[in-house]
Amino acid sequence: MAANWAERISAFSRRPSGFLSGTTAEAFLAELLRELRDDRATYSVKILLLSPLCEHPTLLCCSDSVGEETALELMSVFAQCPPKSVQFRCHLLLALTSVLICTSCVKSHSRASLDFLDVLLQIAQDTSDIHTDGSQRPLRAIACECLRELEACCPGLLSQRLELLGGLWQQETSRLHQAYAELYTLVLRNAIYQLTQETGAGAEHLKALLGGNTSAAWEADQESGLASSKDSAILSSLILGPMGTVPTLHTGPDCKELRSVLSTLLDESYLLTPLCQATLLHRLTEVVAMVPGVPPAIFRTHLLRLLGTSEVSLLHATLLLKCAFTDSLFSSEDEAFILKRLVVLSQHLLLSTPEKLFYMDCILHFPENRPISCGDGDETLPVLLTPQLASALVPTVFNDSATLLARFNMLSLVYLEEGEEGQGGQGLAYLYEHLSSLLSMVENGCGRELVVTFFRAAFLFLYYFCHVERYSNDLTKQLCQLYLNHTKLAPHFINLADQTQDRLSESSWSVGLLKALQRVITEAPLTQLTSHDLSRHLKMLARVAEEGEIIQQSTLTFLSSIITPSSSSLCTGGDWRLGNEILRVCRHLLVHPSLDSLLTPLADVLQLLVCHYADMEIQDHARLYYTLLTTLSREKLAGVLAQGMEEGGRQDKKQSLSCLIGEGLTSTLTIQQTERAVFRLIEAPPEPRAGDINSNEVQKGPEEASASMEAYRDQFSDSSFASEITLQYQLVHINSHDSHFDQLFSIRLHFSLTDHHYEELGDISVPCLLRERPSAIVQLTLKPRKPYPTSLHASAIFTSPDGHTWHTTLPDIHVAFQQTFLPLPVPSNWGRGGTLSVFEGLWDEICSESGDSAMSLFCCQLKEAALNTLVEKHFLPFLISDASHKEEFKVLFFLPPRSHILLKVSSEEDAVHFNIATDNWELLSHINSYLLKITSL
Amino acid sequence: MTVRGLWIISHENGGNLSIRFSRRFSTVEHRAKSLAGSSYVAVPEESTFLQLLLTELGLSDSGKNYVALRDDCLYRPRSPALELHVDGPAKGILWPVLTVSQGPLILACLPLVDVPPDPRPPLASLLSVSQGLTLLAGLQTFLLGSGSKPDSEGLGSRLAMVPSVLLQVCPLGTPLDVPLPGTPTAPTSVGTQKQPAWKTGLHRGRAVVNVGLIETVRSMQYGNRSRQDLWDVYGTVTCKCEVEGVLPNVTVTLSLPPNGSPLQDILVHPCVTSLDSSILTASSVDNYDGSAFSGPYKFPFSPPLEPFRLCSYTSEVPVPPILGSYQLKEEENQLRVSVTLKLHESIKNSFEFCNAHLPFFNRDQMGVVDMKVSSGQLDVSKEKNLLVWVLGQKFPKSREVTMEGKINFSGPTPGPSDPLCTKLTAYVKLHFKVPDMTLSGCYVDQHSVQVYSSAKPRIVTSRELQSKEYYIWNSTGTAPVSSGQMMM
Repeated sequence: MAANWAERISAFSRRPSGFLSGTTAEAFLAELLRELRDDRATYSVKILLLSPLCEHPTLLCCSDSVGEETALELMSVFAQCPPKSVQFRCHLLLALTSVLICTSCVKSHSRASLDFLDVLLQIAQDTSDIHTDGSQRPLRAIACECLRELEACCPGLLSQRLELLGGLWQQETSRLHQAYAELYTLVLRNAIYQLTQETGAGAEHLKALLGGNTSAAWEADQESGLASSKDSAILSSLILGPMGTVPTLHTGPDCKELRSVLSTLLDESYLLTPLCQATLLHRLTEVVAMVPGVPPAIFRTHLLRLLGTSEVSLLHATLLLKCAFTDSLFSSEDEAFILKRLVVLSQHLLLSTPEKLFYMDCILHFPENRPISCGDGDETLPVLLTPQLASALVPTVFNDSATLLARFNMLSLVYLEEGEEGQGGQGLAYLYEHLSSLLSMVENGCGRELVVTFFRAAFLFLYYFCHVERYSNDLTKQLCQLYLNHTKLAPHFINLADQTQDRLSESSWSVGLLKALQRVITEAPLTQLTSHDLSRHLKMLARVAEEGEIIQQSTLTFLSSIITPSSSSLCTGGDWRLGNEILRVCRHLLVHPSLDSLLTPLADVLQLLVCHYADMEIQDHARLYYTLLTTLSREKLAGVLAQGMEEGGRQDKKQSLSCLIGEGLTSTLTIQQTERAVFRLIEAPPEPRAGDINSNEVQKGPEEASASMEAYRDQFSDSSFASEITLQYQLVHINSHDSHFDQLFSIRLHFSLTDHHYEELGDISVPCLLRERPSAIVQLTLKPRKPYPTSLHASAIFTSPDGHTWHTTLPDIHVAFQQTFLPLPVPSNWGRGGTLSVFEGLWDEICSESGDSAMSLFCCQLKEAALNTLVEKHFLPFLISDASHKEEFKVLFFLPPRSHILLKVSSEEDAVHFNIATDNWELLSHINSYLLKITSL
Repeated sequence: MTVRGLWIISHENGGNLSIRFSRRFSTVEHRAKSLAGSSYVAVPEESTFLQLLLTELGLSDSGKNYVALRDDCLYRPRSPALELHVDGPAKGILWPVLTVSQGPLILACLPLVDVPPDPRPPLASLLSVSQGLTLLAGLQTFLLGSGSKPDSEGLGSRLAMVPSVLLQVCPLGTPLDVPLPGTPTAPTSVGTQKQPAWKTGLHRGRAVVNVGLIETVRSMQYGNRSRQDLWDVYGTVTCKCEVEGVLPNVTVTLSLPPNGSPLQDILVHPCVTSLDSSILTASSVDNYDGSAFSGPYKFPFSPPLEPFRLCSYTSEVPVPPILGSYQLKEEENQLRVSVTLKLHESIKNSFEFCNAHLPFFNRDQMGVVDMKVSSGQLDVSKEKNLLVWVLGQKFPKSREVTMEGKINFSGPTPGPSDPLCTKLTAYVKLHFKVPDMTLSGCYVDQHSVQVYSSAKPRIVTSRELQSKEYYIWNSTGTAPVSSGQMMM
């Protein structure tokens, strides 16, 4: 079982949605809790069982009340767990924290959350083990961490306990003092934040807060403050840079108490791990920013140690300190020093690449004492970053891609600022030289990563320096050479042309590049041209043909020379793909502004294709173009092709086949995806059952009980017998009013399974769905392998009145457990006697067998009338005993393919007993939740 | 200052990448939801996350030449913080996903954005980013060891320990510490002095302080008037202190010879208690100021139990320890090779080892190798694409060695290729180690190590010089530009 749990828990955490579609959240949760209470399970398994509650509490506890109940259960497990199972108790605390926070129980101060808070505070104060072995120390550490998380998620929760927490922090001498310090600082920060929100709060209130003797009046305020602080402002960092504002508490210069607390915290911060030091420093930065009465100089004695550190988080916290206090704590020399330090760290040999990149990011968002721009998140160079300083960060061919590009970007910014004269010019020359060396590496056939890096570097260079013609022209030349030697880079070239055109709208570099590429392609000798090269050339030429400014004569000459039968074997080969690529170029030429001058050569090319291309479809297509070209006026031609161009042009990233062929007809030939679901399947109301067993009293089954069982069993020799369930659904519009989809035709529904419990389903056709008509009924026939609840994914293809074909996804269909129930499948002429004897026969078998069979008892409180209604409403079709026989109802659910659940329902003194017998124990959890549901309604 | 989730991904044997461990912190996710409001993007399920991450790292569809999503030139991977473009009903951009990778491992985490999400805040405003990086780096060291060569042998067993490690260092998404090498020993402090949280226990027994100073020299030599040769030196001081007490004081002092150039870019371990401002002033990106402070450099600290890097520095030295020249000439079917190496007179002529490697790329395997060396011995590698010149422990009295001769590339199969080293672009790479010396002259005097404790400690100091990335480029070919410092 233990191994099984490991597997199931890992399946759950890999894909919770998939896992829960095979069972229900309630059932799984119930299983987890049951196993947690089971004494036979080992603690290592139990720890595993807690992980779904820690990671996905809201998936398992669908409502706050379930969360509350679950928490109470876990607390009782905690109370019963022996103190020596420290690890398990730690995990229990974590799970409780997760459940209570995520289900909002803490926010609403539920009973469980208040109890839990007490438990945590008790553990945090319990230092009884200090003179023994310290074995409970990990539990105390976790309790503090849970308290900190509770306070972080519900700020102000512990404000009233500030003095207590301060005392704990000061007394603790073991390593645990760190946990108390972190907790105390956070509570202090939140409490002061809340004070800033109170009107009229001042020095007195602050003093009271720290002393713990909060006045009653303020306590009342506090409560209201808690309730009203719904907004997330208190959760977020208060250090936001030059544009951020910090709420302040006006105390006057007298805040001795706070100052002394802060000094002690700062002095002891050295004893914390660097990560906790950084957090503490940040929290204290926020506190001092909120209380102007405390001067930022309080941090000064710690600055040198922090600025010299090799720890990234400590230096980062120091930068945030600078961001908060600028020149009230840092002189301009300090500023120059910090910037130099960042440059050094950005290229320091002993640091990891991610750290170095992070420091470079810090340079581009440097918190200057006197910023010029408002720091709206864009990258800006700090004024003090001179070219001389930045030269330490020039990119080199030995850098990894990310570093290379980050450096290339930063240096480009630096040299752009300097202009082309002097240092800027030299720097620019260096960058270009660097780009050239990357290019020559690409030329030498480097790996894919370097190719991508080169094109990104080229884009960056052009983005900043496109206007410097001596470089941009030379780059064009080098790129053309590169293309001829490496035509497989065509998609990269097209991408570069596209992006430079989009981003540098005022520059004509992109057109220049395409023009140059057209020249090299059309002028290169055809003799060595492979079909791969040709295919890439045609792609390039199609892109070139999109540019109205580029003269297309040479393209046409090229096309005609590659398809002239005398000079090339392309036509006789009749390659379908190449044919399409040629047609694609032609299509762009058909809408080219200079079409008038292209008319004759283009017509010739199309004619050649019509007559000589050895592929029928290409011929047909060429004929269509030829006809369009020769019969339509330019305006009409443009009109016909315009729509296709918009969708099939370069904006369209997915070059579907139909785009290549369909041209103006694209939209009618392709299947389009709807943005949201258009219709869905809902369960149809049950039809009144015609004749049930009761009306057939006169007929009878086999005489003896054993004979009935045998006859009943015999039926299953046909494997298709009673193996299917049929569910009725209505296909209805989803109520978003999109008149476009009011009338839908030829709907074909496709279903796919989410688990292995059912056989695959066939497609279902529905002729039409009209909004004004009654909805269509769809019968879904499911063939279970195992009769468990499931979900089905559904999608559909349909036609809208304008002739377009659409693909849409429907909301998932959930098949509930009770939908898999069938009445006992006995021949229709059997009377009650026969079915009753099958019931008794099965019951006896289940009682005597072990194997897969199982018995169970479900009890609940129900009045007699309520029970009758329940039977009437839910059990009638499955009732075996006489409905008037109210002492004991016998109910039998048959679940295809072979499972039975038998119920004997009787009212006892204290409760209604549902005696359950089944030949498939795995169904017990499902029937249990089903009964729970119907009896609690 | 928290992370929403953590993922550990590794290459399996077939090269497939899979998620070996993941952890979501539900309470942090709860905060993320209320902080981000309408722009909240949920963390997708494992398989989706993996696929999006690999696309972003350029590792997806490795068989395809060009994939628009992966290879767009507009996109600059702003590593270390990636964006994942989540599709489907919970559409949006998941940011900032931090990643670090080494050897067979990729580690990722998603820090909480605790400032207003629109417009996107700079990374520098999120403290959780640097903390996330520290956590990832710590986990990486825990899983692979800190050596240069990742130890993937025990990876499986260490992965199994990750849940219990996280219980200590990051139970609820707030990183508290990095995984420590040993398990905490039983705490023994019951005094009034607080025990540092980074100290896992107390030392009992004889006091021993071990201070090791290693300097590393890198060089790019071009043998070309138009291109200035480059070299740099950096040093690290590693300590292992076994000293009694909760918070014992130790001071280590670095000293320079009388006219030594100042130590620059000093970075210190967080256990250093205080620093003098003069120690931090010298920087390698500054103009050299003759009046700069040049020691002694005092580092007072209270040591952790395990070995740690007390500080690191860089230094500007006037000459490289070994000056080389490398010339290749293409002659019909063979290559004429000439190498000269000169050991500078200030360097102690006593190596632990000294080897020169001459790799040849983009050529066939070597056939006839007709070479003469004035000292040491010459080996041809098994793959026949590399010459190894073993110089041994000493240069000859003249402090100069040469290698002359011809190589014929007539082997039956082509050797390895390299995009950089084509035609005459080639290098000699030196590997050497000199015990008991530093280039900067920096040293730790045994008597300058002060330990304030009752028992007299045993103090051991050592120093050594080693090479790393020490290249001598062929002066007749085009050498790649390695650094821009020469241009200004």
